[in-house]
Amino acid sequence: MTEDVIAARARALAGALTEAGFARLRVRDGDTEIELRRAPGAVSGAAPSPSSAPAAAAAEVADRPPERRVEVVASDVVGIVRLLRPAIGEGQELDGDRELAYVETLGIRNPVRSRGGGRVSTVFVSEGQPVEYGQPLFAIDR
Amino acid sequence: MFKKVLIANRGEIALRINRACHELGVATVAIFSEADRQSLHVRHADEAFCVGPGPVMRSYLNIPNIISAALISGCDAIHPGYGFLAENARFAEIASDHGLTFIGPTPAVISAMGDKATAKRLMAEAGVPTTPGSDIVANVDEARTVSAAIGYPVLLKATAGGGGKGMRAVHAPEELATAFATAQAESEASFKDGRLYVEKLIVNPRHIEVQVLADEHGGVVHLGERDCSLQKPSHQKLIEEAPAPHLDDALRERLHTIATTATRAVGYTNAGTLEFLVTGGDLYFMEMNTRIQVEHPVTELIYGVDLVKEQIRIAAGEALGFTQDDLNTHGHAIEVRVNAEDPNNNFAPAAGTLTTVVFPGGPGVRVDTHVYGGATVPPFYDSMLAKIVAVGRTRESAIVRMERALAETRIEGVKTTVDFCADVLADPEFRAGGVGVAWLPAFLARRTAAV
Repeated sequence: MTEDVIAARARALAGALTEAGFARLRVRDGDTEIELRRAPGAVSGAAPSPSSAPAAAAAEVADRPPERRVEVVASDVVGIVRLLRPAIGEGQELDGDRELAYVETLGIRNPVRSRGGGRVSTVFVSEGQPVEYGQPLFAIDR
Repeated sequence: MFKKVLIANRGEIALRINRACHELGVATVAIFSEADRQSLHVRHADEAFCVGPGPVMRSYLNIPNIISAALISGCDAIHPGYGFLAENARFAEIASDHGLTFIGPTPAVISAMGDKATAKRLMAEAGVPTTPGSDIVANVDEARTVSAAIGYPVLLKATAGGGGKGMRAVHAPEELATAFATAQAESEASFKDGRLYVEKLIVNPRHIEVQVLADEHGGVVHLGERDCSLQKPSHQKLIEEAPAPHLDDALRERLHTIATTATRAVGYTNAGTLEFLVTGGDLYFMEMNTRIQVEHPVTELIYGVDLVKEQIRIAAGEALGFTQDDLNTHGHAIEVRVNAEDPNNNFAPAAGTLTTVVFPGGPGVRVDTHVYGGATVPPFYDSMLAKIVAVGRTRESAIVRMERALAETRIEGVKTTVDFCADVLADPEFRAGGVGVAWLPAFLARRTAAV
């Protein structure tokens, strides 16, 4: 699956997760597995954490950590994306929790944070783009 | 006319507003919560924004996200529907601060009518008869003094109230302390405002309301009355009809005249409803609802006026296209609310998946709904699934048509009010017409005893 297909799936699944009140949801489609987990104690409605891993590998060696764990940072407001200057780009390494961008709502800048370190694998949005609640902004390889 | 309207609501009313906009050539923007992603109102709109998760505080009441969605999508107006933010003066003000027209009256009027004690005082000043009662009572001792002066039975009411919440009947002085505490707590919990006032309890009145339209150029008309006396024990309306059966002509005309006079007196604009309690030859103003009402279709069907389109036209600054003399009624209309509730268990709301959904059709039947076979009923929202409305030349023919329509209706997956309402329609006392608000709870008790 391409990154935007994963993002679209993750969004739809996040809706289902919230609706059903599940704590964890795993969906396998071909060679990709998407897992969403509701972070305990997190601000409710905060971005779910989808991780995608080759399904075969995950099934065969269950105790080995997945080769790749991708976490999607989603918007929790409706607004306009304001990237940092210089903007966080794909491939950028993050030391720890840091600001990735802002989403501007009625003149208020709502910071988007990475909530941990890793490597930015995908930037889903561009400067000035309108986003809705739950829309993926960044994918981070942890 | 507006170019694009944001519909700040969900369910059947969001679809209703969407239809009115499209008929006027206005583009629409829907908002939805994560729980409503598959809802029909999202599919019918030209654009849609997710504004939050299922719980209403974070989605349909999330003012910054809703206003932001309107601005991002280039809307010039917001229609609030009913419930949620429809009677929130602050929301109307914020919309206007951001250059968006709020489709409804001015924030000042919303706020005056929203505070029940203030509304009553303003109406009394305009010469409208109101129920004998008090202003805000500070504590239970003051309530006791006031109640003794008015005479029992009395009603404790939340000034911020609505939908029967924060309201308690008190039949004797010894019941007052407990009733005061529960009404105050309920009002505090529901409206974050625990202030109460006392009113004379009118025993078994009829609930009759008058629909008005007022433009921004001084034009004011009424569109007759609706009888909403069939209410659940929680005071929520279940079956409504227009016109009100067996209403004395002089009383009917007095209701209409008072409604238009009061509308002018408070500087009202857009669509509104004045609710009255009617007993014998007396009428008392209860409250004014500053929004479109759930039961507006019964009025539309007998007047041939699209009230939602009129709301939008008025907000866009247009003058009413008709005068009082141009308005005439034809026939009788009746509405049944199909709720996902169990009538055999205190109308407890039910959530779940609708496995089968078949609505009625044919002559004289209108169905306003947002559900379909396979749709889920989320636990977060109002339990109304649909409104079935039937119109006929006479009250009897409207009832017969409604019975036929209810017989055609099949909803499976959750319990609904359909069969209960069919039993109500078949009852000789309902059939005779003109029952008071105590009738349905008594009917429910009889029916429960029989089951």
